[in-house]
Amino acid sequence: MVSKKEETKVEATKSEGYTIPDTYKDPEVKKVINKKDLHKMVWRSLMLQSSFNYERMQGGGWAYSMTPALKKIHTNKEDLSNSLLDHLQFFNTHPFLVTFIQGVITAMEENKENRSTIRGIKVALMGPFGGIGDALFWLTLLPITAGIGASLSMQGNIAGPILFLALFNAVHFGLLFWLMNYGYNTGTKAIASMKENTKKISRAASIIGLTVVGALVATYVAFKFGVTIHAGKVKVPLQTGVIDKIMPQLLPLLYTFFCYWMLKKGRSPIALIGITIVVGLVGAFFNLLA
Amino acid sequence: MLVQAILVGIWAGIAGIDMFNGLTHVHRPIVTGAVIGLILGDLQTGLIVGGTLELVWAGMVPLAGAQPPNVVIGGVIGSAFAILTGVKPTVAVGIAVPFAVAVQGLITLLFTVFSPVAHTMDKKAEEADTKALDRMAWLEPIILFIGYFIIAFLPVYFGADKAQAFVQWVPQWILNGLQFAGGIMPAVGFAMLLKIMWKIEYAPFFAGGFIMAAYGQLPILAVAIIGASVAAYDFFKTGTPSAPETAAAAPSDSEEEDYSNGI
Repeated sequence: MVSKKEETKVEATKSEGYTIPDTYKDPEVKKVINKKDLHKMVWRSLMLQSSFNYERMQGGGWAYSMTPALKKIHTNKEDLSNSLLDHLQFFNTHPFLVTFIQGVITAMEENKENRSTIRGIKVALMGPFGGIGDALFWLTLLPITAGIGASLSMQGNIAGPILFLALFNAVHFGLLFWLMNYGYNTGTKAIASMKENTKKISRAASIIGLTVVGALVATYVAFKFGVTIHAGKVKVPLQTGVIDKIMPQLLPLLYTFFCYWMLKKGRSPIALIGITIVVGLVGAFFNLLA
Repeated sequence: MLVQAILVGIWAGIAGIDMFNGLTHVHRPIVTGAVIGLILGDLQTGLIVGGTLELVWAGMVPLAGAQPPNVVIGGVIGSAFAILTGVKPTVAVGIAVPFAVAVQGLITLLFTVFSPVAHTMDKKAEEADTKALDRMAWLEPIILFIGYFIIAFLPVYFGADKAQAFVQWVPQWILNGLQFAGGIMPAVGFAMLLKIMWKIEYAPFFAGGFIMAAYGQLPILAVAIIGASVAAYDFFKTGTPSAPETAAAAPSDSEEEDYSNGI
């Protein structure tokens, strides 16, 4: 059943009919990325959500913003193709912090780290950055700058929108460029000490990654019943009175496992998205959900 | 009115793209109000309405999968009606919100039907055709531009009352249903991640992360730091790189369907 895996054995990850090998046709490491490339990628990162959809979320836009570096690093066509396929997979983070992840991943690609390690680091970084970004930008920067701007606007002062845009984007673009350079340098430095431990780092990244995914399921999936059970004269709200007592966020967990099970059975993500729409519509029609 | 309606439509298109791509936040009502004011020849009212609508939408941000009424259409239609009909900004909000809710429903649909495009992208990636991928990146922004253009153009050109009658003709449960579906939808993405990463030996970490967030209400960052600590402990404890326990748990045959390789 199980056998010892040798370090050199090529692991492959299957994804929707594509097999992505873990190592490269051309494993030679060359330093090809310069500041100009990094800045080009910052501009491209503005398109992070350009191909947004429920199956891959920002995957398409992420691949788009990584493309300049990938093209330069992987001169071997097969390596480039595998790298692109990898980066087109599910990805979701905060668009204002994405350049840090881009920087780190670019450094790893340039160093020809194993694909599984790159994937692990990518997934381990995207969740926390998404959470920080929400708090930092939607709940802090936007209310502050928009509040200042709106108070001027409501007095009929044209400075309102101008000041808002200036303040907001000074932070926005300042962060995007700084994080890209910082991420790339961090990645380059960290990799030197990582090289001999790829397998262990893969494992560490998997541990962080799955811990985060567990938390993401509990935090970002909104699935609640809105029904109240009438038992005689007693009214029990199904969600807060029953389900939350069993386990909070039970429905998101079950639904995620249901999706996982369906995917394992070979159902396509598109079918699952369709099912989810139906669940939403049925829930709304019978007033089941809240 | 035709020229002005076209200009309003174009601005809505630009703002609609900015809401997802660019994020310079020219799509916020505070900016949109001023621009619509300029287009319709009443900058002063535009500024005031924009400021008011901005505060209305201040709390409505895309958090944790929540889908607030669409801020672009809310800002554009709210400002346009306040200026054209002379109603108070707060009344304009009431007119704008049904449109904004309906548009958010449409966007849920767009993000749904756009999933197959990802598979076309896979094919292009397999051929390492980066040019084609670069072109495809503009597909959704263009669709968004056209959609926003039409939705902003029609009510300005034909009048709010007619447009509103149409919006209200869509049954409420459909809009609610799309909103619920949008909230559940991240589960599909997380399941895709699990499919790539899951190994039974990692199940305790998944469970731990879930418990910390569901019962402990810990934010993602806190969970990630705890996860990193556990990973670091594991990293320094497992000894040599080819530690047998890692290898033994890995499936021998990567073609075996019941196992995935983890990451």
